[in-house]
Amino acid sequence: MSLASAYRSRGLRAFFALVVLGLICAPGARAEESQFGYVYTTDLLPKGAKEVEQWATWRRQKTGGYFDQLDGRTEFEYGLTDKLQVAFYANYVWARAYHNGPFGETTPPEPLSYDRPGPDDRYNARRFVGFSGEAIYRLLSPYTDPIGVAVYIEPTVGPAFRELEAKLILQKNFMDDRLVTAFNFTYAPEWRYDIVDGDPTRKKWGYETDVNANFAASYRFAPNWSAGFELLNEHEYNSYTFSKESNNGFFFGPVIHYGGKKLFITATFLEQLPWASEHSDTVAGAIVDRRIYDNDFEKYRVRIKAGWYF
Amino acid sequence: MKSRFLLIPAYALVISAPVQATVYLSVEQAQALMFPGATFTPDFVTLTPDQMKAIEKSSDVNVLSPDLKVWRASTGGWFIADQVVGKHEFIPFAVAIDAQGAVKAVEILEYRETYGDQVRNASWRAQFTGKTKDAPLKLGGDIQNISGATLSSRHITDGVKRLLATYALVLANQKS
Repeated sequence: MSLASAYRSRGLRAFFALVVLGLICAPGARAEESQFGYVYTTDLLPKGAKEVEQWATWRRQKTGGYFDQLDGRTEFEYGLTDKLQVAFYANYVWARAYHNGPFGETTPPEPLSYDRPGPDDRYNARRFVGFSGEAIYRLLSPYTDPIGVAVYIEPTVGPAFRELEAKLILQKNFMDDRLVTAFNFTYAPEWRYDIVDGDPTRKKWGYETDVNANFAASYRFAPNWSAGFELLNEHEYNSYTFSKESNNGFFFGPVIHYGGKKLFITATFLEQLPWASEHSDTVAGAIVDRRIYDNDFEKYRVRIKAGWYF
Repeated sequence: MKSRFLLIPAYALVISAPVQATVYLSVEQAQALMFPGATFTPDFVTLTPDQMKAIEKSSDVNVLSPDLKVWRASTGGWFIADQVVGKHEFIPFAVAIDAQGAVKAVEILEYRETYGDQVRNASWRAQFTGKTKDAPLKLGGDIQNISGATLSSRHITDGVKRLLATYALVLANQKS
Protein backbone atom coordinates (compact mmCIF):
# COMPACT_ATOMS: atom_id res chain seq x y z
CA MET A 1 0.00 0.00 0.00
CA SER A 2 1.49 3.31 -1.04
CA LEU A 3 1.90 6.27 1.21
CA ALA A 4 -0.26 8.28 -1.19
CA SER A 5 -3.26 6.02 -0.69
CA ALA A 6 -2.64 5.96 3.04
CA TYR A 7 -2.79 9.72 3.06
CA ARG A 8 -6.17 9.63 1.33
CA SER A 9 -7.71 8.22 4.43
CA ARG A 10 -10.22 10.63 5.84
CA GLY A 11 -9.41 9.63 9.41
CA LEU A 12 -5.73 10.27 8.90
CA ARG A 13 -6.42 13.69 7.43
CA ALA A 14 -8.66 14.59 10.32
CA PHE A 15 -5.97 13.55 12.78
CA PHE A 16 -3.30 15.57 10.98
CA ALA A 17 -5.57 18.58 11.01
CA LEU A 18 -6.14 18.19 14.74
CA VAL A 19 -2.43 17.92 15.46
CA VAL A 20 -1.57 20.98 13.39
CA LEU A 21 -4.49 22.91 14.84
CA GLY A 22 -3.41 21.90 18.30
CA LEU A 23 0.12 23.11 17.68
CA ILE A 24 -1.12 26.44 16.41
CA CYS A 25 -3.97 27.20 18.76
CA ALA A 26 -3.09 25.66 22.10
CA PRO A 27 -2.77 28.22 24.89
CA GLY A 28 0.68 29.16 26.20
CA ALA A 29 1.77 26.30 28.47
CA ARG A 30 4.53 23.24 28.95
CA ALA A 31 5.65 19.74 30.72
CA GLU A 32 9.05 18.25 31.31
CA GLU A 33 10.92 19.36 28.26
CA SER A 34 11.49 16.38 26.06
CA GLN A 35 14.75 16.53 24.15
CA PHE A 36 13.92 13.04 22.94
CA GLY A 37 10.80 11.49 21.47
CA TYR A 38 10.97 8.25 23.46
CA VAL A 39 13.73 8.48 26.06
CA TYR A 40 13.06 10.37 29.30
CA THR A 41 15.62 12.52 31.11
CA THR A 42 15.87 13.54 34.75
CA ASP A 43 15.07 17.19 33.93
CA LEU A 44 11.79 17.98 35.67
CA LEU A 45 9.53 20.98 36.02
CA PRO A 46 10.40 23.15 39.03
CA LYS A 47 7.89 23.48 41.85
CA GLY A 48 4.65 25.12 40.77
CA ALA A 49 5.44 25.05 37.03
CA LYS A 50 2.80 23.73 34.64
CA GLU A 51 2.94 22.40 31.14
CA VAL A 52 0.62 20.98 28.51
CA GLU A 53 1.96 18.49 25.96
CA GLN A 54 0.47 17.05 22.81
CA TRP A 55 1.95 13.85 21.40
CA ALA A 56 1.28 12.18 18.07
CA THR A 57 2.94 8.87 17.20
CA TRP A 58 2.53 7.39 13.73
CA ARG A 59 3.31 3.69 13.43
CA ARG A 60 3.52 2.40 9.88
CA GLN A 61 3.86 -0.86 7.97
CA LYS A 62 3.81 -4.47 9.19
CA THR A 63 4.39 -7.68 7.24
CA GLY A 64 2.44 -6.59 4.13
CA GLY A 65 -0.76 -4.93 2.93
CA TYR A 66 -1.09 -1.65 4.75
CA PHE A 67 -0.94 -0.62 8.39
CA ASP A 68 -1.17 2.85 9.90
CA GLN A 69 -1.70 3.62 13.55
CA LEU A 70 -1.82 7.06 15.10
CA ASP A 71 -1.49 7.23 18.86
CA GLY A 72 -2.53 10.51 20.42
CA ARG A 73 -1.78 11.76 23.90
CA THR A 74 -2.85 14.99 25.55
CA GLU A 75 -1.03 15.62 28.78
CA PHE A 76 -0.92 18.05 31.69
CA GLU A 77 2.23 18.13 33.86
CA TYR A 78 2.87 19.89 37.14
CA GLY A 79 5.93 20.36 39.32
CA LEU A 80 4.78 19.27 42.78
CA THR A 81 8.26 19.95 44.19
CA ASP A 82 11.57 20.66 42.46
CA LYS A 83 12.23 16.91 42.51
CA LEU A 84 8.75 15.47 41.96
CA GLN A 85 6.75 15.96 38.80
CA VAL A 86 3.29 14.54 38.26
CA ALA A 87 1.20 14.28 35.09
CA PHE A 88 -2.21 13.22 33.92
CA TYR A 89 -3.09 12.36 30.34
CA ALA A 90 -5.59 10.86 27.94
CA ASN A 91 -4.57 8.31 25.31
CA TYR A 92 -6.48 7.66 22.10
CA VAL A 93 -5.80 5.80 18.88
CA TRP A 94 -6.83 5.66 15.25
CA ALA A 95 -5.76 2.76 13.06
CA ARG A 96 -6.37 1.11 9.75
CA ALA A 97 -5.04 -2.20 8.58
CA TYR A 98 -5.36 -4.65 5.72
CA HIS A 99 -3.49 -7.92 5.15
CA ASN A 100 -0.87 -6.65 7.59
CA GLY A 101 -0.53 -9.61 9.95
CA PRO A 102 1.21 -12.97 9.87
CA PHE A 103 0.41 -14.88 6.65
CA GLY A 104 -1.37 -11.84 5.23
CA GLU A 105 -4.33 -11.73 7.62
CA THR A 106 -5.83 -8.40 8.61
CA THR A 107 -4.85 -7.84 12.23
CA PRO A 108 -5.86 -4.94 14.50
CA PRO A 109 -3.19 -2.90 16.31
CA GLU A 110 -2.22 -3.92 19.83
CA PRO A 111 -4.33 -1.31 21.70
CA LEU A 112 -7.41 -2.64 19.84
CA SER A 113 -6.44 -6.30 19.85
CA TYR A 114 -9.86 -7.23 21.28
CA ASP A 115 -11.37 -6.43 17.85
CA ARG A 116 -11.77 -9.43 15.57
CA PRO A 117 -11.77 -8.36 11.91
CA GLY A 118 -12.00 -11.06 9.25
CA PRO A 119 -8.71 -12.05 7.60
CA ASP A 120 -9.62 -10.09 4.44
CA ASP A 121 -11.45 -7.15 6.07
CA ARG A 122 -10.29 -3.59 5.63
CA TYR A 123 -10.03 -2.61 9.29
CA ASN A 124 -10.54 0.99 10.41
CA ALA A 125 -11.15 2.07 14.01
CA ARG A 126 -10.84 5.06 16.28
CA ARG A 127 -10.96 4.50 20.02
CA PHE A 128 -10.22 5.97 23.43
CA VAL A 129 -7.54 3.82 25.10
CA GLY A 130 -7.37 5.08 28.66
CA PHE A 131 -6.30 7.69 31.16
CA SER A 132 -2.79 7.64 32.64
CA GLY A 133 -1.21 9.15 35.69
CA GLU A 134 2.55 9.66 35.95
CA ALA A 135 5.02 10.57 38.64
CA ILE A 136 8.78 11.12 38.25
CA TYR A 137 11.01 11.57 41.27
CA ARG A 138 14.60 12.73 40.81
CA LEU A 139 17.09 11.16 43.20
CA LEU A 140 20.26 12.71 41.76
CA SER A 141 20.76 15.71 39.47
CA PRO A 142 23.14 15.56 36.47
CA TYR A 143 24.11 19.17 37.28
CA THR A 144 25.31 18.60 40.83
CA ASP A 145 25.97 14.84 41.00
CA PRO A 146 28.15 12.62 38.78
CA ILE A 147 25.02 11.22 37.15
CA GLY A 148 21.31 12.06 37.11
CA VAL A 149 18.97 9.38 38.43
CA ALA A 150 15.16 9.38 38.52
CA VAL A 151 12.40 6.83 39.01
CA TYR A 152 9.13 6.90 37.10
CA ILE A 153 5.77 5.22 37.64
CA GLU A 154 2.79 5.38 35.29
CA PRO A 155 -0.49 3.53 35.82
CA THR A 156 -2.95 3.47 32.89
CA VAL A 157 -6.60 2.52 33.20
CA GLY A 158 -8.92 2.08 30.21
CA PRO A 159 -12.12 0.22 29.31
CA ALA A 160 -10.21 -2.91 28.22
CA PHE A 161 -6.65 -2.06 29.19
CA ARG A 162 -4.57 -1.72 32.36
CA GLU A 163 -0.84 -1.05 32.59
CA LEU A 164 1.69 -0.25 35.29
CA GLU A 165 4.84 1.15 33.75
CA ALA A 166 7.97 1.62 35.87
CA LYS A 167 11.19 3.23 34.67
CA LEU A 168 14.69 3.86 35.88
CA ILE A 169 16.02 7.00 34.21
CA LEU A 170 19.74 7.80 34.03
CA GLN A 171 21.24 10.96 32.56
CA LYS A 172 24.81 12.03 31.98
CA ASN A 173 25.72 15.35 30.38
CA PHE A 174 28.95 16.37 28.71
CA MET A 175 30.44 19.50 27.10
CA ASP A 176 28.94 22.04 29.53
CA ASP A 177 25.58 20.23 29.40
CA ARG A 178 25.27 20.74 25.65
CA LEU A 179 25.61 17.01 25.00
CA VAL A 180 22.88 15.12 26.85
CA THR A 181 22.82 11.33 27.04
CA ALA A 182 20.11 9.30 28.73
CA PHE A 183 19.26 5.68 29.38
CA ASN A 184 15.87 4.26 30.42
CA PHE A 185 15.09 0.79 31.68
CA THR A 186 11.35 0.10 31.57
CA TYR A 187 9.34 -2.70 33.16
CA ALA A 188 5.66 -2.55 32.24
CA PRO A 189 3.19 -5.36 32.89
CA GLU A 190 -0.06 -4.80 31.00
CA TRP A 191 -3.46 -6.47 31.01
CA ARG A 192 -6.04 -6.65 28.22
CA TYR A 193 -9.66 -7.75 28.47
CA ASP A 194 -9.93 -10.02 25.47
CA ILE A 195 -11.91 -12.94 24.01
CA VAL A 196 -10.86 -16.35 25.25
CA ASP A 197 -9.18 -18.37 22.50
CA GLY A 198 -11.61 -21.01 21.21
CA ASP A 199 -14.63 -19.52 23.01
CA PRO A 200 -15.82 -16.24 21.43
CA THR A 201 -18.63 -15.96 24.01
CA ARG A 202 -16.21 -15.44 26.89
CA LYS A 203 -13.72 -12.70 27.75
CA LYS A 204 -10.96 -12.58 30.34
CA TRP A 205 -8.00 -10.43 31.38
CA GLY A 206 -4.78 -11.59 29.71
CA TYR A 207 -1.39 -10.13 30.40
CA GLU A 208 2.09 -9.57 29.03
CA THR A 209 5.13 -7.59 30.16
CA ASP A 210 7.02 -5.01 28.12
CA VAL A 211 10.68 -4.59 29.02
CA ASN A 212 12.63 -1.88 27.24
CA ALA A 213 16.22 -0.67 27.34
CA ASN A 214 16.48 2.65 25.51
CA PHE A 215 19.40 5.01 24.95
CA ALA A 216 19.59 8.45 23.38
CA ALA A 217 22.06 11.27 22.88
CA SER A 218 21.49 14.82 21.72
CA TYR A 219 23.82 17.78 21.14
CA ARG A 220 22.77 21.43 21.31
CA PHE A 221 24.29 22.58 18.04
CA ALA A 222 22.81 26.12 18.11
CA PRO A 223 20.89 28.18 20.65
CA ASN A 224 17.47 26.52 21.14
CA TRP A 225 18.26 23.63 18.81
CA SER A 226 19.58 20.16 19.49
CA ALA A 227 19.79 17.00 17.42
CA GLY A 228 20.83 13.43 18.04
CA PHE A 229 19.61 9.86 17.88
CA GLU A 230 17.54 7.34 19.80
CA LEU A 231 18.10 3.58 20.03
CA LEU A 232 15.30 1.46 21.47
CA ASN A 233 15.38 -2.21 22.38
CA GLU A 234 11.88 -3.46 23.19
CA HIS A 235 11.02 -6.90 24.56
CA GLU A 236 7.67 -8.54 25.26
CA TYR A 237 7.15 -11.49 27.58
CA ASN A 238 4.10 -13.63 28.28
CA SER A 239 5.05 -13.60 31.94
CA TYR A 240 6.12 -11.17 34.66
CA THR A 241 9.53 -12.79 35.09
CA PHE A 242 11.47 -12.41 31.81
CA SER A 243 10.47 -15.95 30.74
CA LYS A 244 8.30 -16.90 27.75
CA GLU A 245 9.67 -14.10 25.57
CA SER A 246 7.55 -13.40 22.50
CA ASN A 247 9.10 -10.38 20.80
CA ASN A 248 12.37 -8.48 20.72
CA GLY A 249 12.92 -5.55 18.36
CA PHE A 250 15.41 -2.72 17.88
CA PHE A 251 14.59 0.74 16.58
CA PHE A 252 17.02 3.49 15.64
CA GLY A 253 16.70 6.97 14.18
CA PRO A 254 17.33 10.71 14.45
CA VAL A 255 15.71 13.20 16.79
CA ILE A 256 15.55 16.98 16.50
CA HIS A 257 14.45 19.33 19.24
CA TYR A 258 13.58 23.01 19.52
CA GLY A 259 13.36 24.44 23.04
CA GLY A 260 12.17 28.00 23.56
CA LYS A 261 11.07 30.06 26.51
CA LYS A 262 7.38 29.14 26.19
CA LEU A 263 7.30 26.00 24.06
CA PHE A 264 9.26 23.07 22.78
CA ILE A 265 8.86 20.72 19.84
CA THR A 266 10.56 17.36 19.41
CA ALA A 267 10.38 15.06 16.39
CA THR A 268 11.82 11.54 16.14
CA PHE A 269 11.87 9.16 13.21
CA LEU A 270 12.65 5.51 13.93
CA GLU A 271 13.12 2.49 11.70
CA GLN A 272 13.16 -1.06 13.01
CA LEU A 273 16.58 -2.64 12.53
CA PRO A 274 16.79 -6.17 11.02
CA TRP A 275 18.04 -7.61 14.31
CA ALA A 276 14.94 -9.55 15.48
CA SER A 277 15.17 -13.23 16.36
CA GLU A 278 12.71 -15.95 17.33
CA HIS A 279 11.95 -16.73 20.95
CA SER A 280 9.93 -19.36 22.77
CA ASP A 281 6.60 -17.51 22.39
CA THR A 282 7.12 -15.75 19.05
CA VAL A 283 4.02 -16.00 16.85
CA ALA A 284 4.68 -17.91 13.63
CA GLY A 285 4.98 -15.60 10.64
CA ALA A 286 5.54 -12.47 12.76
CA ILE A 287 9.19 -12.09 11.74
CA VAL A 288 9.85 -11.02 8.16
CA ASP A 289 13.33 -10.09 6.95
CA ARG A 290 14.54 -10.28 10.56
CA ARG A 291 12.06 -7.62 11.69
CA ILE A 292 9.32 -8.46 14.19
CA TYR A 293 5.80 -7.20 13.40
CA ASP A 294 3.72 -8.65 16.23
CA ASN A 295 1.75 -6.46 18.71
CA ASP A 296 3.19 -2.91 18.80
CA PHE A 297 6.17 -3.61 16.58
CA GLU A 298 6.16 -2.08 13.13
CA LYS A 299 8.72 -0.93 10.58
CA TYR A 300 8.55 2.84 10.98
CA ARG A 301 7.62 5.26 13.73
CA VAL A 302 7.36 9.03 13.76
CA ARG A 303 6.71 10.81 17.03
CA ILE A 304 6.10 14.53 17.42
CA LYS A 305 5.76 16.12 20.84
CA ALA A 306 4.94 19.73 21.47
CA GLY A 307 4.75 21.37 24.87
CA TRP A 308 3.73 24.75 26.22
CA TYR A 309 4.79 26.16 29.59
CA PHE A 310 2.63 28.44 31.66
CA MET B 1 6.13 9.99 -3.10
CA LYS B 2 6.92 12.30 -0.24
CA SER B 3 4.28 12.39 2.42
CA ARG B 4 2.89 15.70 3.51
CA PHE B 5 2.90 14.19 6.98
CA LEU B 6 6.55 15.10 7.08
CA LEU B 7 5.57 18.75 6.84
CA ILE B 8 3.99 18.72 10.29
CA PRO B 9 7.28 19.38 12.09
CA ALA B 10 7.88 22.18 9.61
CA TYR B 11 4.51 23.78 10.41
CA ALA B 12 5.30 23.42 14.06
CA LEU B 13 8.71 25.01 13.70
CA VAL B 14 7.37 27.90 11.66
CA ILE B 15 4.94 28.81 14.39
CA SER B 16 7.63 28.57 17.07
CA ALA B 17 8.84 32.10 16.52
CA PRO B 18 11.73 33.18 18.76
CA VAL B 19 10.67 34.70 22.03
CA GLN B 20 11.80 38.25 22.76
CA ALA B 21 14.96 38.30 24.84
CA THR B 22 14.69 39.83 28.29
CA VAL B 23 17.51 42.34 28.56
CA TYR B 24 17.92 43.50 32.13
CA LEU B 25 21.09 45.55 31.78
CA SER B 26 23.17 46.78 28.84
CA VAL B 27 26.95 46.66 29.23
CA GLU B 28 27.02 50.40 29.86
CA GLN B 29 24.29 50.19 32.51
CA ALA B 30 26.10 47.33 34.24
CA GLN B 31 29.37 49.27 34.22
CA ALA B 32 27.70 52.29 35.80
CA LEU B 33 26.03 50.10 38.40
CA MET B 34 29.12 48.10 39.31
CA PHE B 35 31.70 50.96 39.23
CA PRO B 36 29.73 54.13 40.04
CA GLY B 37 31.34 57.27 38.67
CA ALA B 38 34.14 55.44 36.82
CA THR B 39 35.12 55.72 33.18
CA PHE B 40 36.08 52.64 31.21
CA THR B 41 38.86 51.77 28.80
CA PRO B 42 38.32 48.75 26.55
CA ASP B 43 41.12 46.20 26.86
CA PHE B 44 39.74 43.32 24.79
CA VAL B 45 41.88 40.20 24.91
CA THR B 46 42.23 37.22 22.61
CA LEU B 47 43.44 34.30 24.69
CA THR B 48 46.17 32.11 23.29
CA PRO B 49 45.68 28.33 23.24
CA ASP B 50 48.20 28.04 26.07
CA GLN B 51 46.36 30.63 28.15
CA MET B 52 43.06 28.81 27.57
CA LYS B 53 44.61 25.54 28.68
CA ALA B 54 46.07 27.19 31.78
CA ILE B 55 42.70 28.74 32.68
CA GLU B 56 40.92 25.40 32.23
CA LYS B 57 43.54 23.63 34.33
CA SER B 58 43.33 26.22 37.09
CA SER B 59 39.52 26.50 37.20
CA ASP B 60 38.45 23.07 35.95
CA VAL B 61 35.96 24.91 33.73
CA ASN B 62 35.91 24.90 29.92
CA VAL B 63 36.79 28.17 28.15
CA LEU B 64 33.94 28.79 25.70
CA SER B 65 35.65 31.46 23.59
CA PRO B 66 39.16 32.94 23.28
CA ASP B 67 37.64 36.41 22.90
CA LEU B 68 37.36 38.26 26.18
CA LYS B 69 35.47 41.56 26.51
CA VAL B 70 37.32 43.42 29.24
CA TRP B 71 37.31 47.05 30.35
CA ARG B 72 39.60 48.76 32.86
CA ALA B 73 37.80 50.98 35.35
CA SER B 74 39.32 54.41 36.06
CA THR B 75 38.72 53.86 39.77
CA GLY B 76 40.74 50.63 39.71
CA GLY B 77 39.56 47.17 38.78
CA TRP B 78 38.21 45.34 35.79
CA PHE B 79 34.82 44.86 34.18
CA ILE B 80 34.30 41.64 32.16
CA ALA B 81 31.23 40.91 30.02
CA ASP B 82 30.92 37.23 29.22
CA GLN B 83 28.39 34.43 28.83
CA VAL B 84 27.71 30.90 30.04
CA VAL B 85 25.61 28.05 28.66
CA GLY B 86 21.94 28.08 29.69
CA LYS B 87 19.30 25.42 29.16
CA HIS B 88 18.39 26.76 25.70
CA GLU B 89 20.56 29.81 25.08
CA PHE B 90 23.64 31.53 26.42
CA ILE B 91 23.27 33.62 29.57
CA PRO B 92 25.16 36.95 29.21
CA PHE B 93 26.55 38.16 32.54
CA ALA B 94 29.13 40.60 33.87
CA VAL B 95 31.72 40.35 36.63
CA ALA B 96 33.39 43.34 38.30
CA ILE B 97 36.78 42.53 39.81
CA ASP B 98 38.46 44.99 42.16
CA ALA B 99 42.09 46.07 42.06
CA GLN B 100 43.02 43.27 44.48
CA GLY B 101 41.54 40.54 42.26
CA ALA B 102 38.38 39.89 44.29
CA VAL B 103 34.82 39.86 42.94
CA LYS B 104 33.16 43.23 43.48
CA ALA B 105 29.81 42.26 41.96
CA VAL B 106 28.06 39.92 39.51
CA GLU B 107 25.17 41.01 37.28
CA ILE B 108 22.96 39.00 34.91
CA LEU B 109 22.61 41.06 31.72
CA GLU B 110 20.02 38.94 29.92
CA TYR B 111 17.98 35.88 30.87
CA ARG B 112 16.01 34.06 28.19
CA GLU B 113 15.32 30.67 29.81
CA THR B 114 11.92 29.35 30.81
CA TYR B 115 12.91 28.77 34.44
CA GLY B 116 15.75 29.63 36.77
CA ASP B 117 15.71 33.42 36.74
CA GLN B 118 16.22 33.31 40.51
CA VAL B 119 19.93 33.64 39.61
CA ARG B 120 19.12 37.35 39.26
CA ASN B 121 18.28 37.59 42.95
CA ALA B 122 20.66 40.03 44.64
CA SER B 123 21.10 37.79 47.69
CA TRP B 124 22.25 34.86 45.55
CA ARG B 125 24.64 37.00 43.50
CA ALA B 126 26.01 38.56 46.70
CA GLN B 127 27.57 35.20 47.59
CA PHE B 128 30.27 35.90 44.98
CA THR B 129 31.35 39.23 46.50
CA GLY B 130 34.89 39.05 47.85
CA LYS B 131 35.68 35.70 46.19
CA THR B 132 39.13 35.34 44.68
CA LYS B 133 40.82 32.78 42.48
CA ASP B 134 41.60 30.73 45.57
CA ALA B 135 37.96 30.33 46.62
CA PRO B 136 36.40 26.89 45.93
CA LEU B 137 33.39 28.42 44.11
CA LYS B 138 31.54 25.16 44.28
CA LEU B 139 27.77 24.96 43.92
CA GLY B 140 26.39 23.34 47.04
CA GLY B 141 29.64 24.30 48.83
CA ASP B 142 30.54 27.96 49.28
CA ILE B 143 27.85 28.92 46.74
CA GLN B 144 24.32 27.90 47.61
CA ASN B 145 22.37 25.99 44.96
CA ILE B 146 19.00 27.31 43.81
CA SER B 147 16.60 24.40 43.68
CA GLY B 148 14.74 24.51 40.38
CA ALA B 149 17.49 26.64 38.81
CA THR B 150 20.39 24.24 39.18
CA LEU B 151 21.72 24.38 35.64
CA SER B 152 21.83 28.19 35.52
CA SER B 153 23.27 28.58 39.02
CA ARG B 154 25.97 25.98 38.34
CA HIS B 155 27.01 27.50 35.03
CA ILE B 156 27.16 31.04 36.44
CA THR B 157 29.21 29.78 39.38
CA ASP B 158 31.56 28.05 36.94
CA GLY B 159 31.66 31.20 34.79
CA VAL B 160 32.76 33.39 37.72
CA LYS B 161 35.38 30.81 38.67
CA ARG B 162 36.71 30.78 35.11
CA LEU B 163 36.89 34.59 34.95
CA LEU B 164 38.73 34.79 38.29
CA ALA B 165 41.28 32.33 36.91
CA THR B 166 41.45 34.41 33.73
CA TYR B 167 42.11 37.53 35.80
CA ALA B 168 44.87 35.87 37.82
CA LEU B 169 46.60 34.22 34.87
CA VAL B 170 46.14 36.84 32.16
CA LEU B 171 44.69 40.20 33.20
CA ALA B 172 46.74 40.71 36.35
CA ASN B 173 49.88 40.43 34.23
CA GLN B 174 48.75 42.99 31.63
CA LYS B 175 50.63 46.27 31.58
CA SER B 176 48.40 49.23 32.33
